[in-house]
Amino acid sequence: MPSDVTDLDYTPPDGGWGWVVVFASFISIGFAYSFPKSLTIYFKEIQEHFIISYSEIAWVSSIMMATTYAGGPVSSVLVNRYGSRPVVIIGGLMVGVAMMTASFATSILHLFICVGVIGGFGLAFNLQPSLTITSKYFLVKRPIANGLAMTGSPVLLSVLAPLNQFLFDNFGWRGSFLILGGVLLHCCVAGCLMRPIKVKLAVKKLTHQTATEVDVTHQTAETVNIQGCVEKVNRFIDLSIFKERGFLIYLVGNVVMLLGIHAPIVFLVPYAEQHGIDEEDAALLLSIFALADTVACPVTGFLASTGWIRPNIQYFFSFAVACNGVCHLTGSLLTGYVGLVVYTVIFGSTWGMVGALKFEVLMDLVGAHQFSSTVGLVTVIECVPVLLGPPIFGLLVDIFKDYKFIHFTSGGMLLTSGVFLFIMNYYNYRQLENEEKASKKEIQISSANQLPAREEANDKEAPVNMRSEEATYST
Amino acid sequence: MPRLASTQQSCWDAPLFSMAYVLHIILLLLYCDTIHSGQSLVKVIEEPTVLSPQTIQLLCNLSDIPNNPPTVTGYWTKDGQEIENSKEAVNRNNDQYIFKKTIQAADVGNYSCVFRENDAQVTFVFDAPVMKDKRDKPIVSYIGDTVVLRCTLKNTPKTWNWYKVNNTEKDLINVTVSPLKYNIVIHQNVTKLSVLNLTEADAGTFICSAEFDIKSIESYLELRVLSLLEPLKPFLVIVAEVIILVTLILVWEKCKPGQDHNTATTENVLYTEQTSKLTHSDSNGMETTTRQRKTEQ
Repeated sequence: MPSDVTDLDYTPPDGGWGWVVVFASFISIGFAYSFPKSLTIYFKEIQEHFIISYSEIAWVSSIMMATTYAGGPVSSVLVNRYGSRPVVIIGGLMVGVAMMTASFATSILHLFICVGVIGGFGLAFNLQPSLTITSKYFLVKRPIANGLAMTGSPVLLSVLAPLNQFLFDNFGWRGSFLILGGVLLHCCVAGCLMRPIKVKLAVKKLTHQTATEVDVTHQTAETVNIQGCVEKVNRFIDLSIFKERGFLIYLVGNVVMLLGIHAPIVFLVPYAEQHGIDEEDAALLLSIFALADTVACPVTGFLASTGWIRPNIQYFFSFAVACNGVCHLTGSLLTGYVGLVVYTVIFGSTWGMVGALKFEVLMDLVGAHQFSSTVGLVTVIECVPVLLGPPIFGLLVDIFKDYKFIHFTSGGMLLTSGVFLFIMNYYNYRQLENEEKASKKEIQISSANQLPAREEANDKEAPVNMRSEEATYST
Repeated sequence: MPRLASTQQSCWDAPLFSMAYVLHIILLLLYCDTIHSGQSLVKVIEEPTVLSPQTIQLLCNLSDIPNNPPTVTGYWTKDGQEIENSKEAVNRNNDQYIFKKTIQAADVGNYSCVFRENDAQVTFVFDAPVMKDKRDKPIVSYIGDTVVLRCTLKNTPKTWNWYKVNNTEKDLINVTVSPLKYNIVIHQNVTKLSVLNLTEADAGTFICSAEFDIKSIESYLELRVLSLLEPLKPFLVIVAEVIILVTLILVWEKCKPGQDHNTATTENVLYTEQTSKLTHSDSNGMETTTRQRKTEQ
């Protein structure tokens, strides 16, 4: 029944201009995820120029990623207020101007502020609104839309990596930053494509049916009087989401997952080189990974929209996370270049699966209306494991001098997370079913109670009538 | 079957004799089963590292020659050219033929011992170490900016020197003469040259030279100095393209106001709103029990 499938007060178009919006999201999300990673090519030169250590320059990427995640709530507030389009345009301008300014930097601090902070916020203003607008345009085909939009990350990384190399060889790091500022302005173009949905209000009809009659009577006119600090915050961001059981499960599972998921990709090339693979072939592994990701993302989105998987999408997501874990645990046993290639392909595919479903699952949990606020909160919490993960694993490598431990630890974490999500979602579904049955029973009981009351009322009227008749007879 | 035996011990591990500056190199045992006299040469290449002048003795040990002649003839080549007066008759000694040569380490090159009887040969490649992290592509920097050129070597040389190529001539870079322009930092096996206040004239080839007692090792670094206009041109092209795209999109949107693709209508729904707990179900009319669902029909 299309009329009651959404808590949005309209039916999403599920197509038409929506596909253009998917393309725009593809670009925005792609830049947001891939740009910090693609900057690493400049680090050596910048490190020499400013005479700093590698860990100091690596902070630029880390700060940028951290701000992208941490800027989520700010982004949410703005999107709730102004819609996606202006926020993405401003985000594109911010990150473009940030890179242009960074090309004139005279100290590493300038880079931290320009590229890290301002650039990071600009990307945050790209990431979150893109996801929100996808949820506004799509419902039935939303997993496909999400899958396609998330494909932006590996595709743009594959484009940015050789582009950055070319720019660096021809223009050095300063000129490259200037030109990259121009390239990032294409986020503004993407923002322009994100037309807001115009809703035509139709006449609302009240329909009565016995089963829902009690609901109607229980409805109080909910004029929400906003008082107090908490309510004021709730106006901008809905913090009550933390009371939802499903959301908490998602959050815990995701935090554990994110702790483990990034390390294997960060250490893929050194791991290959430790096994005797030379530099060029090891770099090829990353390209293979990106290719597997590019294929797996939309395919997963398509699978997730099928009638069989869509209602069980939470299970599908936990399955994808668990697959990632198994891949790492067993992949470390594969040796030789061919073994590494196989491992990379499987790794890329499972990574793509998780990426495609990550936000779709959240939309499924909280609904499109609340998604905008929720995703901001989710990203700011996820900021912590994303940042802490690789350095902790790097420490493990330094202690144990063997990359196998990374695979075991990360695989273990992912498997635990996947199993946790699976079990807890099962439990959650059972609870929800029970609650629904209980509330249905309540409705039936209360409507049953009302019948005798009405009969009493009818009975009270009857003797009055009889007496009046008697009266007429007597006179 | 003739076998050329060679053993090698690393130069720095444990010299056989402690005689000053004399190193014995004992050669590794290797198989050359496929050797037939007159046929393909077995080339074995060893590459020891030499850093300071010393006398080195090369030793080739040939065993298992058919017929076991009392003497075999062998000679030495350097860099492919036969060394004068190096032809010797080697006497058999317990089924082995040991052929020696003493050279100075300063005479770097490829030395080979060749046996005439079966053309077996062992090559010793003596050379000074190579530079690490060689940069093939030119380093790009801008006018007024600072650039750091860097050379790394595996071993620590006696000194490092920097030269600038000036029309096929090498000019030594002297920091004391022009301290505002150049700065050299040396950290054992790494050297860095900072060129400050770049101008167009600074572009060109720089040479970092690691000086050892026997030989100097050089590495070339090319520097390109650009003006800021160079990256500005593609940048302005890209910005212009972005502005054109944005304008096109917005104009197209304004000119076609009746587009219904992005409009949606409310259906006949009884709109119940709860500010905190919203209910939602999705997909094809199938109920997902992810959240509670209140529907009005």
